[in-house]
Amino acid sequence: MTDFAIYCVTMIAIWSVLGISLHLQFGLTGLVNFGQVLPFAIGAYGAGFAAVHGAPGWSGWVIGGVMAPLLGLVVILPASRLTQDYWALVTLGAGELFRLAMLNIPGIAGGVEGVSVARINASGTAMLAALALLVATVLFARRIGHSPLGRMLRVLREDEVLAATLGRDPVRFQRVVTAISWAMAGLAGTLYAHVIGYISPSAFTVAETFLIWIAVVLGGPASILGVVLGTTIIQLTALSTRFVAQWSQLPFEFVANLRLGLFGLVLVLVFLLRPEGLVPERRERVDAASR
Amino acid sequence: MTQILADSLIYAAEIGIIAMGVALCFAILRFANFAHVQFAVVGAYLTYSANRFLGLPLVPATLLSAVATGLLAVGIDRAVFARLRRITPEGKMIVSWGVALILRAAIACCFGGASRVFPVEPAALNALGAYFTSQDVAVVAATLAAILALHLLLHRTRAGTALRALASNAELAETRGIPAERMIALMWLISAGFAAIGGTLFALETRLQPNMDLIILLPTFSAVTIGGLDRVFGAAIGALVLSLAQNLLIGVDLGGLLGLGSWSVPTRFRDFIAVGAMVLILLLRRRTPGALAAR
Repeated sequence: MTDFAIYCVTMIAIWSVLGISLHLQFGLTGLVNFGQVLPFAIGAYGAGFAAVHGAPGWSGWVIGGVMAPLLGLVVILPASRLTQDYWALVTLGAGELFRLAMLNIPGIAGGVEGVSVARINASGTAMLAALALLVATVLFARRIGHSPLGRMLRVLREDEVLAATLGRDPVRFQRVVTAISWAMAGLAGTLYAHVIGYISPSAFTVAETFLIWIAVVLGGPASILGVVLGTTIIQLTALSTRFVAQWSQLPFEFVANLRLGLFGLVLVLVFLLRPEGLVPERRERVDAASR
Repeated sequence: MTQILADSLIYAAEIGIIAMGVALCFAILRFANFAHVQFAVVGAYLTYSANRFLGLPLVPATLLSAVATGLLAVGIDRAVFARLRRITPEGKMIVSWGVALILRAAIACCFGGASRVFPVEPAALNALGAYFTSQDVAVVAATLAAILALHLLLHRTRAGTALRALASNAELAETRGIPAERMIALMWLISAGFAAIGGTLFALETRLQPNMDLIILLPTFSAVTIGGLDRVFGAAIGALVLSLAQNLLIGVDLGGLLGLGSWSVPTRFRDFIAVGAMVLILLLRRRTPGALAAR
């Protein structure tokens, strides 16, 4: 039981990092990334690549932490020419391209069978590592949110043209946010690979992207506390499916499908009833003259 | 070569009719509807149920399923999308994903995860060196008939004119007295009805399973993107272009053409080509209206 609780906390921490990464992109800046699973997958496959090709374990972290933001900068390139809904399709496609490449080119990291990665055997260590990453991410994201950069990102979210008239280059800000948030998600991916000890393409589908989105939308995209709360609710629901199935004596698949429908319902209801999420954005008042 | 063309045409017919519905919805409501693919799956299962449990022959079963799925879409619009007309297109996309999850869960819970097959035994045919079945002919004919019917509706009737007016300028159309909400309901009826027919065709050619949505999703959105997102008949062309690209890249001996020994793109890259084409087209797209000026 304690083992399960520790595992839950680990997973919640890792997925919260992914949520906060999306919070920076969508909640603060208004970037609609439908390929949020991509930096996560790159991080995990960094570990997988290192394991397959006999590279030392730390190189996986380097690949995850460097390749994810670099690829993010490539994916953000067309954002200046496309409206957000078109760009959402680009990111969705980019995530799928990566997954299909991993699936169909076994030489990179095992293809459809996946690859085993050095597993952190002590569950307590894994939890502490995940919590440490979460705390670092939260502090960093908070710092961004309260800085002049964060204020500018909010301006960008509300009105790109206004940001441009203030003499700021929206595209540059979008690039900075993408690099930072994709690095976070990449590191979360590498850690995830080492916690689970095994990765395969089926763990990085569009469905995972939307698991992150549902958590962020439910909790409140513009609030870090909200994102962590939303992730906790969604992950606990996901992780407890097995027990609900045992307890209710219904087939596991049936319960898993019900859960999927419940997630969909949550997404729709939040948009209809509480579009700002469980924890709304705090309005900040800054009086420039008194500073 | 004619075999590749025939296969492309058949696959394009299955995807094209689904893609046209996505484009129709995008033209009127300006958002990419992820739930559309689920309408196809729901439609396929409804056809199967009408055929299997009500004992209807396939053609009336498909038509009944198209009407039922269309009404379902109108109902979903009333309950969800109609209340969210004013939010951003991205927001609607996210909501449509939620609707998709609900529909998928409902199908999987009602019918289970096992795959089913339509009890049809088509006759094998052979023309111009290509092999196909009588069912393939019916699939292509159904899609062509649907395209023709939609063309006549859009360009020969008052309702069609109203729909086109809404698509080109919704505010102007409304001030000129076009009943927007009624027309939107009509759009859902057509769009989801087409999806139901397309889903049925797809299930006839392959098999019926709850996760066929993931198999349909990528090629459909790829076809719509190639066609131009709000171009209804462009989506059908896009499906044909995509299908040809897939079958040519996979079926033609590219290595032989370049004198590098026999080599062609492996079959497993079929989805890769679809998604790659979608991303490529989006990247090559000129600036979309409302996007920031590039510096």
